[in-house]
Amino acid sequence: MAKALNKIMDALDIETYLVCNNAQEGRKLVQQLGEELNLGDLDIMYEEFDGYGMRVRLRKYVYKPGNKYNWLSENE
Amino acid sequence: MTKKILCVPLDPVHDVGIKLIRNALDKNGYDTTLLAPDLTMEAIVKYAVKDNYDYILVSRTLGYGVAELLARFNDLLDAAGVREKSKIVVGGKPITPELAAELGFDKGFGAQSTVEEVVAYIGGKEINFAQNGIQREKGSITKEYSYKFVNTEIGDLLSSIADKLIKYANVRTTDAIERAKIKEEIIVERDAEKRKVLSKKYAELCDRVIVDANENKLYPKGVRYLGDNELIELKRFLNDNHAVLPAKIQHNSSQPLVFKFLGSGCPTMDIVHAKVCERWGIDGFLIINPSWEARYEGLIDGYLTHENDGTITSFENIKLMRESLDPSTLLTVRAHRGLNTPETILLAGMAGADLAKINLVYGSLGAGTDPSRLAVDGVEAIKLAARFNMPFDIPGNDELSGVPAWKSLAGQLINVMVGIKLGAKPILKPLFCLGPHIVINGQMNKNYVDFNSAKIKALRSIVDCPIWPGEPIAFMTQSEERVQSANATSYHAALAATLGVDAITIASTDEAYSRGPICVTSRIDSIRAVSDAFKFVGNSKFQTTPECDFYTEDLISKIKDVLTAVNEKADLPEAINAGLLGNEEDGAYPGKFGKDTVKMK
Repeated sequence: MAKALNKIMDALDIETYLVCNNAQEGRKLVQQLGEELNLGDLDIMYEEFDGYGMRVRLRKYVYKPGNKYNWLSENE
Repeated sequence: MTKKILCVPLDPVHDVGIKLIRNALDKNGYDTTLLAPDLTMEAIVKYAVKDNYDYILVSRTLGYGVAELLARFNDLLDAAGVREKSKIVVGGKPITPELAAELGFDKGFGAQSTVEEVVAYIGGKEINFAQNGIQREKGSITKEYSYKFVNTEIGDLLSSIADKLIKYANVRTTDAIERAKIKEEIIVERDAEKRKVLSKKYAELCDRVIVDANENKLYPKGVRYLGDNELIELKRFLNDNHAVLPAKIQHNSSQPLVFKFLGSGCPTMDIVHAKVCERWGIDGFLIINPSWEARYEGLIDGYLTHENDGTITSFENIKLMRESLDPSTLLTVRAHRGLNTPETILLAGMAGADLAKINLVYGSLGAGTDPSRLAVDGVEAIKLAARFNMPFDIPGNDELSGVPAWKSLAGQLINVMVGIKLGAKPILKPLFCLGPHIVINGQMNKNYVDFNSAKIKALRSIVDCPIWPGEPIAFMTQSEERVQSANATSYHAALAATLGVDAITIASTDEAYSRGPICVTSRIDSIRAVSDAFKFVGNSKFQTTPECDFYTEDLISKIKDVLTAVNEKADLPEAINAGLLGNEEDGAYPGKFGKDTVKMK
């Protein structure tokens, strides 16, 4: 059976709020989150630390233009 | 015999949907009874057994525990013998046909079902509203315009400027014009040997990078040929998948057509994005090519994919995109600057594109093309656009480099007049943006409505010509934050709709994120936002402040001053080189690509 991750057309976005003491800690948590979710490095599209934590918009590109898209293949 | 229907809001509060359905059923002559909301299930069952209802329509809006609740309700109806005499139909936001069937209902209607669909079902004329494929007519941006100049003083100035420009271009030529002629012969030539000879002739007029790619398959970094398998897979994907329940963005017929950019680099990715966007109601797309394409003499042939920003505008790529889109979807090809402007228009026309993008002023500013070169190429490009009956839009993105709005609009108007004189159909494209000049001078400090509205009003007071704010609307007001970006787009879209413009180009909610390609969910985000904005404003208008009138008059006056100064010069290239349509202080300077390449005929 095809992996669901391969069925993502292009990118997986994660929007969440990370409780942290400062933006630097927030960014570290983003990297940790990527590892914990087995997604590797996550791109931080948007971050805003507000004193309590950090609102983030994160992105993992599954396919970039020019890649071979598994969702396009018949057997996937 | 008239069918009897019991309408049941099985909900503590919400009964709007079932009321709408009841009204429609009444109008169709059915005998309906509507119960009050917030009755217990037992009380409802008592009503249901009292009479012989043909249908019991149950409406449930809230989603929490809905399956359990409906299952219990169905059991109660069953126990009371109601199911033997009545068909039980359930509807509501959380309902899917699958859930309805699973719970034992005769039919289910969900969030996307329509009142008409329910009425058709009751009437025994069940219609499959879940249609496959886009079903709409192709929109036209230019058909209702006379292209007459209301402001004759400005019209006369433009006429003089355009005449001088056309005269300037008519006695000159460039390699780009020659290449376009050869390329046309190559495309129509069936004899392989003759094609080879023509290709060699074409190569003689190209830069080495392009020759290497076309003759030796040595492509620029990040470019590769799209293999046969990939094309077959794409075709299969497009055959196997179709838009279900296609959405419409416009809330009424006078609201603008909505365009999006395509330019991921990969035509396959562009096409699948486009197909999804078509389903969500997008009316057209603009192919954005890589910026390096504008710097080389000549274009690369074939089905090509590119790992970086911008999709290569080969004949094959444009044709593939055109043929993959729904026939009702408009396709625009960018040719507003660069060393291949005439050829790009030719390819667009021959590949069946609907529109083109040309601005021989903006294209000559900033990192653009030499003004003399683009003057000659641009006139030829407009002639080709006219020949292929492709209206061309005139992007005013010079404002983003700091050029004041009146200079950008003056430049656009020059293109309009040239277009008219050459038999083409130009489209004005003022920016709805927070450009650097506006930031510095504060025209939008109080609101974003007055100055953007003033641009439209000023242009309308000058010429009867289609207007398509771009590009995209809300430029420089959007951040990487998704909701903020969607909101900024939707507010500007709402303003555009209330101003009655013909089309808009909208960004995706990740447009401001510059470190990666646009993704499809971000495209859907902004489409949804605009759709809601159109619904919100409907046929109402924004109320501008008196400052809008001041800005309008000021723009008209300054446009006239700019055009007067341009007209005093011998020709348009001289005016651009003198900085009359954007100078170094503004942040613009004459383009350098193709300098000293214009030849006298």
